[in-house]
Amino acid sequence: MGRAEIHELSAAYALDALEGNDLEAFEEHLARCAECRENVTTFQRVAAELAYDVDAPEPPAALRNRILDQAASERPKVVPLPRRRWAFPVAAAAAVAAGIAAVGLAFWAADLSQQLDDVQAEQHRANEALIALIDPSASHFALEGADGVLVVDAETAEGSLVISGLESAPSEKTYEAWVIEGDQAVPAGLFSGGGNQTVVPLTVPVPEGAIVAVTVEQAGGVDQPTQQPIITSEQAA
Amino acid sequence: MGRGLAHLSDEALVALVARADEEALAELYDRFGRVAYGLALRIVRDPALAEDAVQEGFLAVWGSATRFVAERAKASTWILTLIHRRAVDLVRREQPRRAEPLDAVPHESGDDTEEEAWLRLRRGRVQEALKGLPDKQREALELAYYGGFTQSELADRLGEPLGTIKSRMFSGLASLREALAEEEFEEEQWEEPRSTS
Repeated sequence: MGRAEIHELSAAYALDALEGNDLEAFEEHLARCAECRENVTTFQRVAAELAYDVDAPEPPAALRNRILDQAASERPKVVPLPRRRWAFPVAAAAAVAAGIAAVGLAFWAADLSQQLDDVQAEQHRANEALIALIDPSASHFALEGADGVLVVDAETAEGSLVISGLESAPSEKTYEAWVIEGDQAVPAGLFSGGGNQTVVPLTVPVPEGAIVAVTVEQAGGVDQPTQQPIITSEQAA
Repeated sequence: MGRGLAHLSDEALVALVARADEEALAELYDRFGRVAYGLALRIVRDPALAEDAVQEGFLAVWGSATRFVAERAKASTWILTLIHRRAVDLVRREQPRRAEPLDAVPHESGDDTEEEAWLRLRRGRVQEALKGLPDKQREALELAYYGGFTQSELADRLGEPLGTIKSRMFSGLASLREALAEEEFEEEQWEEPRSTS
Protein backbone atom coordinates (compact mmCIF):
# COMPACT_ATOMS: atom_id res chain seq x y z
CA MET A 1 0.00 0.00 0.00
CA GLY A 2 1.33 3.43 -0.93
CA ARG A 3 2.08 6.07 1.62
CA ALA A 4 -0.74 8.40 0.64
CA GLU A 5 -3.15 5.51 0.61
CA ILE A 6 -2.36 4.32 4.09
CA HIS A 7 -2.78 7.88 5.42
CA GLU A 8 -6.24 7.95 3.91
CA LEU A 9 -7.17 4.97 6.04
CA SER A 10 -7.31 7.21 9.10
CA ALA A 11 -10.84 8.07 7.93
CA ALA A 12 -11.96 4.47 7.49
CA TYR A 13 -10.40 3.67 10.86
CA ALA A 14 -12.31 6.45 12.61
CA LEU A 15 -15.52 5.11 11.03
CA ASP A 16 -14.74 1.55 12.16
CA ALA A 17 -14.76 0.53 8.49
CA LEU A 18 -11.53 -1.48 8.59
CA GLU A 19 -11.38 -5.17 9.27
CA GLY A 20 -8.87 -7.98 9.36
CA ASN A 21 -5.54 -7.36 7.67
CA ASP A 22 -6.40 -3.79 6.74
CA LEU A 23 -7.10 -3.01 10.38
CA GLU A 24 -3.92 -4.67 11.61
CA ALA A 25 -1.77 -2.97 9.00
CA PHE A 26 -3.21 0.42 9.80
CA GLU A 27 -2.86 0.00 13.55
CA GLU A 28 0.80 -0.87 13.04
CA HIS A 29 1.20 2.22 10.92
CA LEU A 30 -0.64 4.32 13.47
CA ALA A 31 1.79 3.42 16.20
CA ARG A 32 4.54 5.03 14.12
CA CYS A 33 2.78 7.92 12.40
CA ALA A 34 2.02 11.04 14.44
CA GLU A 35 0.16 12.66 11.56
CA CYS A 36 -2.25 9.77 11.29
CA ARG A 37 -2.78 9.75 15.06
CA GLU A 38 -3.68 13.42 14.82
CA ASN A 39 -6.06 12.72 11.95
CA VAL A 40 -7.62 9.79 13.77
CA THR A 41 -8.11 11.99 16.84
CA THR A 42 -9.97 14.67 14.95
CA PHE A 43 -11.81 12.22 12.69
CA GLN A 44 -13.06 10.25 15.67
CA ARG A 45 -14.30 13.48 17.10
CA VAL A 46 -16.18 14.23 13.89
CA ALA A 47 -17.53 10.67 13.78
CA ALA A 48 -18.79 11.08 17.35
CA GLU A 49 -20.76 14.10 16.18
CA LEU A 50 -22.45 11.83 13.62
CA ALA A 51 -23.74 9.89 16.60
CA TYR A 52 -26.07 12.80 17.29
CA ASP A 53 -27.83 12.50 13.93
CA VAL A 54 -30.09 9.76 15.22
CA ASP A 55 -33.46 9.51 16.83
CA ALA A 56 -32.69 9.15 20.47
CA PRO A 57 -35.58 7.50 22.25
CA GLU A 58 -35.14 6.92 25.97
CA PRO A 59 -33.45 3.56 26.46
CA PRO A 60 -35.37 1.11 28.64
CA ALA A 61 -34.85 1.89 32.34
CA ALA A 62 -33.79 -1.69 33.01
CA LEU A 63 -30.73 -1.24 30.80
CA ARG A 64 -29.18 1.25 33.22
CA ASN A 65 -29.55 -1.16 36.12
CA ARG A 66 -28.18 -4.07 34.12
CA ILE A 67 -25.09 -2.12 33.20
CA LEU A 68 -24.47 -0.91 36.74
CA ASP A 69 -25.06 -4.37 38.22
CA GLN A 70 -22.70 -5.99 35.82
CA ALA A 71 -20.08 -3.30 36.36
CA ALA A 72 -20.32 -3.91 40.10
CA SER A 73 -19.79 -7.63 39.58
CA GLU A 74 -16.74 -6.97 37.42
CA ARG A 75 -14.96 -4.79 39.92
CA PRO A 76 -11.75 -6.85 39.99
CA LYS A 77 -11.06 -5.88 36.39
CA VAL A 78 -10.64 -2.32 37.48
CA VAL A 79 -7.45 -1.45 39.25
CA PRO A 80 -7.87 1.02 42.09
CA LEU A 81 -5.20 3.66 41.82
CA PRO A 82 -2.92 4.21 44.78
CA ARG A 83 -2.67 7.60 46.44
CA ARG A 84 1.05 7.78 45.81
CA ARG A 85 1.40 9.42 42.47
CA TRP A 86 4.47 7.77 41.07
CA ALA A 87 3.83 4.15 41.83
CA PHE A 88 2.08 1.94 39.31
CA PRO A 89 1.57 -1.59 40.52
CA VAL A 90 2.81 -4.48 38.45
CA ALA A 91 -0.62 -6.10 38.48
CA ALA A 92 -2.11 -2.96 37.00
CA ALA A 93 0.48 -2.87 34.25
CA ALA A 94 -0.33 -6.46 33.34
CA ALA A 95 -4.06 -5.75 33.34
CA VAL A 96 -3.58 -2.75 31.12
CA ALA A 97 -1.38 -4.69 28.72
CA ALA A 98 -3.95 -7.47 28.49
CA GLY A 99 -6.72 -4.96 27.98
CA ILE A 100 -4.91 -3.27 25.16
CA ALA A 101 -4.45 -6.54 23.33
CA ALA A 102 -8.12 -7.32 23.78
CA VAL A 103 -9.66 -4.04 22.76
CA GLY A 104 -7.50 -3.19 19.78
CA LEU A 105 -8.15 0.54 19.88
CA ALA A 106 -4.65 1.26 18.72
CA PHE A 107 -5.06 4.96 19.08
CA TRP A 108 -5.40 4.88 22.83
CA ALA A 109 -2.90 2.13 22.98
CA ALA A 110 -0.57 4.09 20.73
CA ASP A 111 3.15 3.41 20.89
CA LEU A 112 2.40 -0.11 21.96
CA SER A 113 5.70 -1.74 22.57
CA GLN A 114 8.51 0.18 24.16
CA GLN A 115 6.49 3.17 25.16
CA LEU A 116 3.82 1.20 26.97
CA ASP A 117 5.27 2.08 30.34
CA ASP A 118 5.41 5.76 29.49
CA VAL A 119 1.85 5.73 28.29
CA GLN A 120 0.65 4.03 31.44
CA ALA A 121 2.54 6.42 33.63
CA GLU A 122 1.19 9.38 31.69
CA GLN A 123 -2.38 8.14 31.91
CA HIS A 124 -1.99 7.37 35.54
CA ARG A 125 -0.59 10.78 36.39
CA ALA A 126 -3.17 12.56 34.28
CA ASN A 127 -5.95 10.70 36.06
CA GLU A 128 -4.47 11.47 39.43
CA ALA A 129 -4.24 15.15 38.60
CA LEU A 130 -7.85 15.24 37.41
CA ILE A 131 -8.88 13.57 40.62
CA ALA A 132 -6.80 16.04 42.61
CA LEU A 133 -8.92 18.76 41.00
CA ILE A 134 -11.96 17.44 42.77
CA ASP A 135 -10.18 16.37 45.95
CA PRO A 136 -11.28 18.62 48.81
CA SER A 137 -7.88 18.24 50.53
CA ALA A 138 -6.04 19.70 47.53
CA SER A 139 -5.42 23.43 47.26
CA HIS A 140 -5.99 25.28 44.00
CA PHE A 141 -4.04 28.32 42.85
CA ALA A 142 -4.87 30.50 39.89
CA LEU A 143 -2.61 30.81 36.86
CA GLU A 144 -1.76 33.93 34.98
CA GLY A 145 -1.02 33.59 31.26
CA ALA A 146 -3.14 30.51 30.68
CA ASP A 147 -6.52 29.06 31.46
CA GLY A 148 -5.85 26.59 34.21
CA VAL A 149 -4.97 25.91 37.79
CA LEU A 150 -2.12 24.73 39.99
CA VAL A 151 -3.25 21.90 42.25
CA VAL A 152 -1.19 21.10 45.34
CA ASP A 153 -1.79 18.20 47.68
CA ALA A 154 -1.93 19.65 51.18
CA GLU A 155 -0.20 16.64 52.75
CA THR A 156 2.53 15.75 50.32
CA ALA A 157 3.06 19.12 48.57
CA GLU A 158 2.95 17.24 45.26
CA GLY A 159 1.70 19.62 42.61
CA SER A 160 0.22 19.47 39.13
CA LEU A 161 -0.57 22.07 36.53
CA VAL A 162 -3.86 21.53 34.72
CA ILE A 163 -4.05 23.84 31.71
CA SER A 164 -6.79 24.06 29.08
CA GLY A 165 -6.20 24.84 25.44
CA LEU A 166 -2.43 25.26 25.62
CA GLU A 167 -0.96 25.32 22.12
CA SER A 168 1.70 22.77 21.26
CA ALA A 169 5.22 24.01 21.95
CA PRO A 170 6.96 25.25 18.76
CA SER A 171 9.18 22.69 17.04
CA GLU A 172 12.60 22.29 18.64
CA LYS A 173 11.14 23.85 21.80
CA THR A 174 9.60 22.51 24.97
CA TYR A 175 7.60 23.93 27.82
CA GLU A 176 9.47 23.71 31.08
CA ALA A 177 7.87 24.06 34.50
CA TRP A 178 9.70 25.63 37.44
CA VAL A 179 9.11 25.73 41.15
CA ILE A 180 10.42 29.09 42.28
CA GLU A 181 11.19 29.94 45.89
CA GLY A 182 12.69 33.37 46.42
CA ASP A 183 15.36 33.63 43.71
CA GLN A 184 15.83 29.87 43.36
CA ALA A 185 14.23 28.17 40.34
CA VAL A 186 14.13 24.37 40.32
CA PRO A 187 13.25 22.48 37.10
CA ALA A 188 9.91 20.70 37.62
CA GLY A 189 9.27 18.91 34.33
CA LEU A 190 9.07 19.25 30.55
CA PHE A 191 5.89 19.03 28.49
CA SER A 192 4.72 19.72 24.98
CA GLY A 193 1.15 21.05 25.33
CA GLY A 194 -1.47 20.66 22.59
CA GLY A 195 -4.81 18.94 22.98
CA ASN A 196 -7.79 19.97 25.06
CA GLN A 197 -6.18 19.68 28.37
CA THR A 198 -2.57 19.53 29.47
CA VAL A 199 -1.87 17.86 32.78
CA VAL A 200 1.63 18.34 34.12
CA PRO A 201 2.53 16.48 37.29
CA LEU A 202 5.44 18.44 38.74
CA THR A 203 8.58 16.46 39.43
CA VAL A 204 9.44 18.36 42.62
CA PRO A 205 7.20 19.34 45.55
CA VAL A 206 5.65 22.79 45.78
CA PRO A 207 6.47 24.19 49.23
CA GLU A 208 4.47 26.90 50.94
CA GLY A 209 5.24 30.33 49.56
CA ALA A 210 6.60 29.01 46.25
CA ILE A 211 5.22 29.86 42.85
CA VAL A 212 5.16 27.67 39.76
CA ALA A 213 6.11 29.15 36.40
CA VAL A 214 6.38 27.89 32.83
CA THR A 215 8.89 29.01 30.21
CA VAL A 216 9.53 27.98 26.62
CA GLU A 217 12.99 26.47 26.32
CA GLN A 218 15.14 24.54 23.85
CA ALA A 219 13.98 20.95 23.35
CA GLY A 220 15.47 18.78 26.06
CA GLY A 221 15.08 21.47 28.68
CA VAL A 222 17.57 23.62 30.60
CA ASP A 223 18.80 23.81 34.19
CA GLN A 224 17.85 27.43 34.72
CA PRO A 225 15.18 29.46 32.94
CA THR A 226 16.49 31.48 30.00
CA GLN A 227 13.17 33.09 29.05
CA GLN A 228 10.48 35.15 30.72
CA PRO A 229 7.71 32.92 32.05
CA ILE A 230 4.60 32.69 29.89
CA ILE A 231 2.58 31.26 32.77
CA THR A 232 2.89 31.97 36.49
CA SER A 233 0.85 30.73 39.41
CA GLU A 234 -0.16 32.63 42.50
CA GLN A 235 1.92 31.95 45.55
CA ALA A 236 1.13 28.56 47.09
CA ALA A 237 -0.10 29.09 50.63
CA MET B 1 -26.75 10.43 43.71
CA GLY B 2 -25.90 12.17 46.93
CA ARG B 3 -22.38 13.14 45.98
CA GLY B 4 -23.38 15.63 43.36
CA LEU B 5 -21.27 14.51 40.42
CA ALA B 6 -23.31 16.61 38.03
CA HIS B 7 -20.87 19.52 38.02
CA LEU B 8 -17.87 17.37 37.07
CA SER B 9 -16.48 17.31 33.54
CA ASP B 10 -16.87 14.15 31.49
CA GLU B 11 -13.11 13.70 31.75
CA ALA B 12 -13.10 13.90 35.53
CA LEU B 13 -15.89 11.31 35.63
CA VAL B 14 -13.82 8.95 33.50
CA ALA B 15 -10.93 9.47 35.92
CA LEU B 16 -13.25 8.43 38.75
CA VAL B 17 -14.47 5.44 36.75
CA ALA B 18 -10.83 4.42 36.42
CA ARG B 19 -10.87 4.20 40.21
CA ALA B 20 -13.87 1.86 40.05
CA ASP B 21 -16.36 4.54 41.10
CA GLU B 22 -19.79 3.14 40.24
CA GLU B 23 -21.61 6.43 40.77
CA ALA B 24 -19.37 8.07 38.23
CA LEU B 25 -20.26 5.34 35.73
CA ALA B 26 -23.94 5.94 36.45
CA GLU B 27 -23.48 9.67 35.83
CA LEU B 28 -21.74 8.96 32.51
CA TYR B 29 -24.60 6.68 31.56
CA ASP B 30 -27.09 9.41 32.42
CA ARG B 31 -25.20 11.81 30.17
CA PHE B 32 -24.56 9.53 27.20
CA GLY B 33 -26.89 6.54 27.54
CA ARG B 34 -29.58 8.10 25.43
CA VAL B 35 -27.46 9.12 22.47
CA ALA B 36 -25.57 5.82 22.76
CA TYR B 37 -28.82 3.88 22.56
CA GLY B 38 -30.05 5.98 19.65
CA LEU B 39 -26.80 5.41 17.78
CA ALA B 40 -26.77 1.67 18.49
CA LEU B 41 -30.41 1.40 17.42
CA ARG B 42 -29.73 3.14 14.14
CA ILE B 43 -26.87 0.76 13.42
CA VAL B 44 -28.29 -2.58 14.55
CA ARG B 45 -31.98 -1.68 14.00
CA ASP B 46 -33.16 -4.03 16.69
CA PRO B 47 -33.96 -2.85 20.22
CA ALA B 48 -32.59 -5.92 21.98
CA LEU B 49 -29.33 -5.85 20.00
CA ALA B 50 -29.05 -2.11 20.60
CA GLU B 51 -29.29 -2.72 24.33
CA ASP B 52 -26.52 -5.31 24.03
CA ALA B 53 -24.30 -2.84 22.20
CA VAL B 54 -24.88 -0.13 24.80
CA GLN B 55 -24.27 -2.54 27.65
CA GLU B 56 -21.05 -3.86 26.13
CA GLY B 57 -19.93 -0.35 25.30
CA PHE B 58 -20.41 0.98 28.82
CA LEU B 59 -18.74 -2.08 30.28
CA ALA B 60 -15.80 -1.35 27.99
CA VAL B 61 -15.79 2.17 29.44
CA TRP B 62 -15.76 0.62 32.91
CA GLY B 63 -13.02 -1.85 32.04
CA SER B 64 -10.69 0.43 30.14
CA ALA B 65 -11.08 3.85 31.78
CA THR B 66 -7.55 3.55 33.19
CA ARG B 67 -6.32 3.83 29.62
CA PHE B 68 -8.22 6.97 28.70
CA VAL B 69 -5.95 10.00 28.24
CA ALA B 70 -7.78 13.30 28.58
CA GLU B 71 -4.97 15.05 26.77
CA ARG B 72 -5.59 13.05 23.62
CA ALA B 73 -9.33 12.89 23.32
CA LYS B 74 -12.60 14.11 24.72
CA ALA B 75 -14.33 11.62 26.98
CA SER B 76 -17.53 11.91 24.94
CA THR B 77 -15.66 10.94 21.76
CA TRP B 78 -14.06 8.02 23.52
CA ILE B 79 -17.34 6.72 24.90
CA LEU B 80 -19.25 7.06 21.63
CA THR B 81 -16.35 5.41 19.78
CA LEU B 82 -16.57 2.41 22.11
CA ILE B 83 -20.35 2.21 21.64
CA HIS B 84 -20.01 2.50 17.88
CA ARG B 85 -17.38 -0.22 17.77
CA ARG B 86 -19.62 -2.60 19.71
CA ALA B 87 -22.69 -1.85 17.59
CA VAL B 88 -20.76 -2.38 14.37
CA ASP B 89 -19.31 -5.64 15.66
CA LEU B 90 -22.80 -6.86 16.54
CA VAL B 91 -24.38 -5.90 13.25
CA ARG B 92 -21.59 -7.59 11.31
CA ARG B 93 -22.05 -10.74 13.31
CA GLU B 94 -25.85 -10.81 13.36
CA GLN B 95 -26.86 -9.41 10.01
CA PRO B 96 -24.61 -10.53 7.21
CA ARG B 97 -26.91 -9.00 4.62
CA ARG B 98 -27.75 -5.40 5.20
CA ALA B 99 -29.27 -4.30 1.94
CA GLU B 100 -32.24 -2.37 3.28
CA PRO B 101 -32.35 1.39 3.36
CA LEU B 102 -30.72 2.80 6.45
CA ASP B 103 -33.22 5.47 7.34
CA ALA B 104 -33.88 5.55 11.01
CA VAL B 105 -37.40 4.95 12.21
CA PRO B 106 -38.89 8.17 13.54
CA HIS B 107 -39.84 7.93 17.16
CA GLU B 108 -42.78 9.46 18.91
CA SER B 109 -41.80 11.97 21.50
CA GLY B 110 -44.45 13.72 23.52
CA ASP B 111 -42.28 15.46 26.06
CA ASP B 112 -39.92 18.24 25.19
CA THR B 113 -37.31 18.27 27.87
CA GLU B 114 -34.17 20.33 27.93
CA GLU B 115 -32.26 17.21 26.91
CA GLU B 116 -34.52 16.73 23.87
CA ALA B 117 -34.01 20.32 22.83
CA TRP B 118 -30.25 20.00 23.16
CA LEU B 119 -30.18 16.76 21.19
CA ARG B 120 -32.32 18.34 18.49
CA LEU B 121 -30.05 21.36 18.23
CA ARG B 122 -26.99 19.19 18.01
CA ARG B 123 -28.59 16.93 15.44
CA GLY B 124 -29.54 19.95 13.34
CA ARG B 125 -25.93 21.09 13.24
CA VAL B 126 -24.66 17.71 12.11
CA GLN B 127 -27.37 17.42 9.46
CA GLU B 128 -26.53 20.87 8.19
CA ALA B 129 -22.85 19.92 7.91
CA LEU B 130 -23.70 16.64 6.18
CA LYS B 131 -25.88 18.47 3.68
CA GLY B 132 -22.88 20.48 2.56
CA LEU B 133 -21.04 17.36 1.37
CA PRO B 134 -21.14 16.02 -2.19
CA ASP B 135 -23.74 13.23 -2.34
CA LYS B 136 -21.22 10.47 -2.92
CA GLN B 137 -19.08 11.47 0.05
CA ARG B 138 -22.11 11.69 2.30
CA GLU B 139 -23.31 8.31 1.10
CA ALA B 140 -19.96 6.68 1.85
CA LEU B 141 -19.80 8.19 5.34
CA GLU B 142 -23.37 7.27 6.20
CA LEU B 143 -23.10 3.71 4.95
CA ALA B 144 -19.86 3.21 6.85
CA TYR B 145 -20.85 4.90 10.11
CA TYR B 146 -24.53 4.03 10.41
CA GLY B 147 -24.57 0.96 8.18
CA GLY B 148 -21.51 -0.67 9.68
CA PHE B 149 -20.12 -1.52 6.24
CA THR B 150 -16.40 -2.05 5.91
CA GLN B 151 -14.59 -0.23 3.14
CA SER B 152 -14.40 -3.44 1.09
CA GLU B 153 -18.12 -4.07 1.50
CA LEU B 154 -18.77 -0.49 0.44
CA ALA B 155 -16.67 -0.88 -2.68
CA ASP B 156 -18.66 -4.01 -3.60
CA ARG B 157 -21.99 -2.49 -2.80
CA LEU B 158 -21.36 0.73 -4.70
CA GLY B 159 -19.47 -0.94 -7.54
CA GLU B 160 -16.49 1.39 -7.15
CA PRO B 161 -12.77 0.68 -6.82
CA LEU B 162 -11.59 0.38 -3.21
CA GLY B 163 -9.21 3.31 -3.69
CA THR B 164 -12.12 5.54 -4.65
CA ILE B 165 -14.00 4.58 -1.49
CA LYS B 166 -10.97 5.30 0.68
CA SER B 167 -10.51 8.74 -0.85
CA ARG B 168 -14.19 9.49 -0.58
CA MET B 169 -14.31 8.68 3.12
CA PHE B 170 -11.17 10.71 3.75
CA SER B 171 -12.36 13.76 1.81
CA GLY B 172 -15.81 13.47 3.36
CA LEU B 173 -14.56 13.39 6.93
CA ALA B 174 -12.06 16.15 6.24
CA SER B 175 -14.81 18.40 4.85
CA LEU B 176 -17.07 17.57 7.74
CA ARG B 177 -14.27 18.38 10.15
CA GLU B 178 -13.93 21.75 8.53
CA ALA B 179 -17.66 22.42 8.52
CA LEU B 180 -18.00 21.47 12.16
CA ALA B 181 -14.94 23.47 13.14
CA GLU B 182 -16.82 26.58 12.14
CA GLU B 183 -19.45 25.75 14.71
CA GLU B 184 -18.67 26.21 18.34
CA PHE B 185 -19.67 23.19 20.27
CA GLU B 186 -19.87 23.70 23.98
CA GLU B 187 -17.80 26.86 23.68
CA GLU B 188 -14.71 24.90 22.90
CA GLN B 189 -12.12 25.34 20.22
CA TRP B 190 -11.58 22.75 17.59
CA GLU B 191 -8.08 22.13 16.44
CA GLU B 192 -7.11 23.50 13.06
CA PRO B 193 -7.81 20.85 10.45
CA ARG B 194 -4.66 19.25 9.17
CA SER B 195 -4.08 18.21 5.63
CA THR B 196 -2.46 15.00 4.63
CA SER B 197 0.33 15.47 2.18
